[in-house]
Amino acid sequence: MAAASSKPVLEAKGISKHYGGVIALDNVDLTLYEGEVLAVVGDNGAGKSTLIKALTGAIPRSSGEIHFDGEEAHIETPTDAKNAGIETVYQDLALVNEISITKNVFLGREILRDDWLGKLFGVLDFKKMDAEIRALFSKLDVRIADIYRDAQAFSGGQRQAVALSKTVMFGKRVAILDEPTAALGVRESQMAMDLVGSLKDHGLSVIMITHNMQHVLNYCDRVMVLRLGHLSAVRDVKDVDGDMLVALITGANEGDA
Amino acid sequence: MTQAQNSSTAVSSPTASSNRMDVLKHEFMQIWQVIAALLLIYLVFFVLSPPFRSFDTLLSIFGQASILAVLACGTTIVLISGGLDLSVGSIFAVVGVTVGIFLAEYELPIWLAVCGGLAFGAALGALNGAIQVITKVPAFIVTLGGLTAYKGLAEILASGRDLSRFPDTFQAIGSGYAMPMGIMFATALLTGLFLTKTRLGSRAFAIGGNAEVARLAGVPIAKSRIYYYMLGGFLAALAAIMEVSKLNFAMPARGQSYELFAIAAVVIGGTSLFGGRGGVGKTLIGMLMMQTITVGLSYMGVGTSYQRIAIGVIIIMAVYWDVWRRAAR
Repeated sequence: MAAASSKPVLEAKGISKHYGGVIALDNVDLTLYEGEVLAVVGDNGAGKSTLIKALTGAIPRSSGEIHFDGEEAHIETPTDAKNAGIETVYQDLALVNEISITKNVFLGREILRDDWLGKLFGVLDFKKMDAEIRALFSKLDVRIADIYRDAQAFSGGQRQAVALSKTVMFGKRVAILDEPTAALGVRESQMAMDLVGSLKDHGLSVIMITHNMQHVLNYCDRVMVLRLGHLSAVRDVKDVDGDMLVALITGANEGDA
Repeated sequence: MTQAQNSSTAVSSPTASSNRMDVLKHEFMQIWQVIAALLLIYLVFFVLSPPFRSFDTLLSIFGQASILAVLACGTTIVLISGGLDLSVGSIFAVVGVTVGIFLAEYELPIWLAVCGGLAFGAALGALNGAIQVITKVPAFIVTLGGLTAYKGLAEILASGRDLSRFPDTFQAIGSGYAMPMGIMFATALLTGLFLTKTRLGSRAFAIGGNAEVARLAGVPIAKSRIYYYMLGGFLAALAAIMEVSKLNFAMPARGQSYELFAIAAVVIGGTSLFGGRGGVGKTLIGMLMMQTITVGLSYMGVGTSYQRIAIGVIIIMAVYWDVWRRAAR
């Protein structure tokens, strides 16, 4: 695996999100270094998903700025994030049940035919899209053959594999994953986490929300703990154990950040 | 380095392969029940009513279905995208009257009157979509407003005018069986190609299936929705032109309840009212089924009021069948 460097890819400063009078996220800083897997942990309602959505333009931020490769990035919509090279797998919002795997992977970035039909009428090039997906799946060892079938037909593990593959196909720099193993069985979780590991090999820096302390300890380089909308600690994974993390999450340990 | 398109990995899949034929088979499996129901209904009337057996009857079923089927193709697009347009019957009325005025009063060339009518219908449809996107008022309310407002507009435009006796060449569009049927099949084919082969069309399924996922995937939802309503308005206009041509007069009362017949045909065919699923082939079959029942019952001397009751029962049965099948899965 590629070792984490000290060069930041993504830096978020003072991210806040208010819903009316409710403060969902208060002045949170985040730094993601090149080639690392950064875990985001916290209790339900700690602001993990809100942080990710605010980072990727899925919801408007109340305040805060985002720097990408040292320069300020204007990420206001999901498309802005994608253009910057950030791919996100949102929890429960990764795939449309009613459309095929091919259409899901290329949703929003469909490949058009290279002739007048494509230019004039936006006719899709299914052959090319299918071929690219098959190449990608074989590279990542994702065993899904029926790419024409609706996403609904697949298991949770297969769906997550499709969503994670999408980040490899399109993510140039950063993959952000919201609980990639939620609702998966033990074996499927293992497969999903192997895929997360391979994201790193494909040159992506990863931010991953998780509830699974074992995944933090086994797969991540650093961990940030959110509590009640605040950043309560950032640690190198080699400096923590499961009990320490739980203490930080529950507030038994107040943290320091 | 991370881009898959640069990968030289062989295109091989580790498990059993599936191909496009399987997809067609799968689609046929979904639609065969509706086709079987249509054939069964036809057969029942064929047995019960001797005059129903003629080829002319078959032609008249297609002929009567054609105008509503064209309108219903637009309804199919809108429903698949998770939308609803109750105003297409009124768009039908306004466009009919407008084209009538173009021809009878201004004596515009036929092609210009037709294109003007189509553009007007598309614009009214787009307006429905734009109002929803901008105000966030639900489709049901916006297009219910459109239903009465466009109807009023049609009445204002038509008042004090005699809109009849159009040029012979214009009458050719909707008269007889060949032209209307040709337009119906061409419209269905193009709508089907639009939905399955183009970027905008295929996105209708994604938006109707899960608009939030589509938004997060970078699909421009608002713009796409306006296009779907625009196409619905365009096809309502085409249907209106066919009818004005066939009747050789235009009046604002035409098109009443057409939006409901169209929705009924779409639903009977098996397109989901909740978006994300469906197809124009199903709509065509749904429309033929409705017309077969109407024509068949007429031949058996059953009055229009009873026909309406029959159609109503069938709409509920069709949706019940769909719900029951989903639950069984």
